[in-house]
Amino acid sequence: MNAEEIMQQFQEKGYEVRLSERETGVKNRVKRKGVWVTVGRENLRDAVSFLQEIAEEYPHFSIISTADLGDDVELNYHFMLGYGKWLEEFAVTFKVIIPKTDLSVPSLTDIVPAIIFSEREITEMMGVEVEGLPDKRHLFLTPDFPEGVYPWRRDETGPKETNKLYEGWKP
Amino acid sequence: MKYEIPVGPIHPALKEPIMIKCTIEGERIVDVDVFCSQNHRGIEWIGMNRNNPVQSIYTAEKICGICNFCHPSCLVMAVEEIVGFEVPERAQYIRVIQGELERIHSHLLWAGVAAHELGFDSLLHYVWMVREKVMDILELVNGQRVPKDVLMYGGVRRDIKEEHIPKIREMLKYYAEGFDKIAKLFLQDKTIKMRTREIGILTKEDAMKLATAGPTTRASGVKKDVRQDMPYYAYPDFEVKAITPDMLTGETLGDTYDRIVVRLLEVKQSMEIIEQALDEMPGGEILAEPKVMKVINQIKKSEGEAIARHEAPRGEAIHYVKLKEGFEYLYAWKVRAPTYINILSWRPMLMDMQIADIPIVAASIDPCMSCTNRVTIVEDNRERVLTAEHLHRLSVQKTRRLMK
Repeated sequence: MNAEEIMQQFQEKGYEVRLSERETGVKNRVKRKGVWVTVGRENLRDAVSFLQEIAEEYPHFSIISTADLGDDVELNYHFMLGYGKWLEEFAVTFKVIIPKTDLSVPSLTDIVPAIIFSEREITEMMGVEVEGLPDKRHLFLTPDFPEGVYPWRRDETGPKETNKLYEGWKP
Repeated sequence: MKYEIPVGPIHPALKEPIMIKCTIEGERIVDVDVFCSQNHRGIEWIGMNRNNPVQSIYTAEKICGICNFCHPSCLVMAVEEIVGFEVPERAQYIRVIQGELERIHSHLLWAGVAAHELGFDSLLHYVWMVREKVMDILELVNGQRVPKDVLMYGGVRRDIKEEHIPKIREMLKYYAEGFDKIAKLFLQDKTIKMRTREIGILTKEDAMKLATAGPTTRASGVKKDVRQDMPYYAYPDFEVKAITPDMLTGETLGDTYDRIVVRLLEVKQSMEIIEQALDEMPGGEILAEPKVMKVINQIKKSEGEAIARHEAPRGEAIHYVKLKEGFEYLYAWKVRAPTYINILSWRPMLMDMQIADIPIVAASIDPCMSCTNRVTIVEDNRERVLTAEHLHRLSVQKTRRLMK
């Protein structure tokens, strides 16, 4: 199943889908492709399960990346599909946007076991509550890291006070 | 009776900060818990709040000393995709050569460490002596042994000159001649076989479920290699094939021995790629836009997001970058190093193994803590801490025991 077919499948399900392409190579020009699916958090589990159903191989989980958009937080769940064959791999990304007033997403650890580190990471770094996460300890930060400070935020909860090393570094 | 053995925080076997807490019953490991870090270096924060995108290339280089090409390479690729920089042909070939030189030196470094973990120190010294050859070439081409500082948006900063090429070819010849000896030492040696065969097995199913990357996943029989599946730079010209251990031994067990096989074959593969790249390297420019301020302004005017991947020696590195118009820094930047995901595989690998196997099994995924944690640990001082020497001694003792 290639990127276009996956894209079509998700469009039929009613999701908003975008395809990104980038040409590469010198003599042999090929395209790197990515499918970006926007999902609501209530559909996230369904969308990932659906991907596992329609994909020929086990979707390879990469990472959850996040961005602070001001009033909202954006989470991107990156998966890779079609690996193992020459030129056939492409990325599938589920984009979830949640408001800062209610920062929570369901945990996917039961369907994607490898996601556990990433979910622990967004909990401590972005302050996103992951519902149903079996292990809620800190992963990269110390156990005594101040509560309510999230290093990746761009608002008042960002690491201003804790990050003394760079104070006065910029004019 | 169950005991807990903390391996770490400052690493007993790897000299890098990570803690593995093993629960043991007698000699048998029954549970494994990994504690990644206690002190975050915050490199992503620096890229998002302090450094401009060009400075960030060289910050990314400092994520890891050993694979210092893969991280800036991912960042550069992602930004190039968003902004739409075109990379000159010659620069794409140079990037391939730099990436493969890095793979050779990293795999040889690992081979030495693995020999040391087994208590085979004469092999460690031999392999690291052989590795000096590629370090000399890196010094010749980049001006320094370890950091490369060669990447720039839209190209590379340093050319591979005419006078470098014969020296690189000489290195390839040196390795081609010496390869059989190293392969024999690692693959035929009775001691190494005893200590690594059927030790630390990762099944294909676990490898897929835990989303492992790089040689760790390929040793379990998953044919996954970014250079093959989703090539970047000039890699589509090379038709790289993912290496699995059955190519040499005819079977795939997914044990520590198989991970040695994969890495050794990959050194050979890298040599072939460099040779082909030198033969086919086109001429011309190496940098699309030499004025740095212009590049910065162009990035500042761009908006979008992209992910980029690079097959680093340890597995695939992935960066996600988001740019916002008018914003001085990277708006969002997420680094995923290969070890981040490979650490999960320690648990299935170490289960039911012996304490003396911890160093070699932990080392067999070629972990790179600086990539993953971006940390230093200063913590945990429980009564029963095994020192590096003690653990190393246990490992050596097991080798001796088996040889009797």
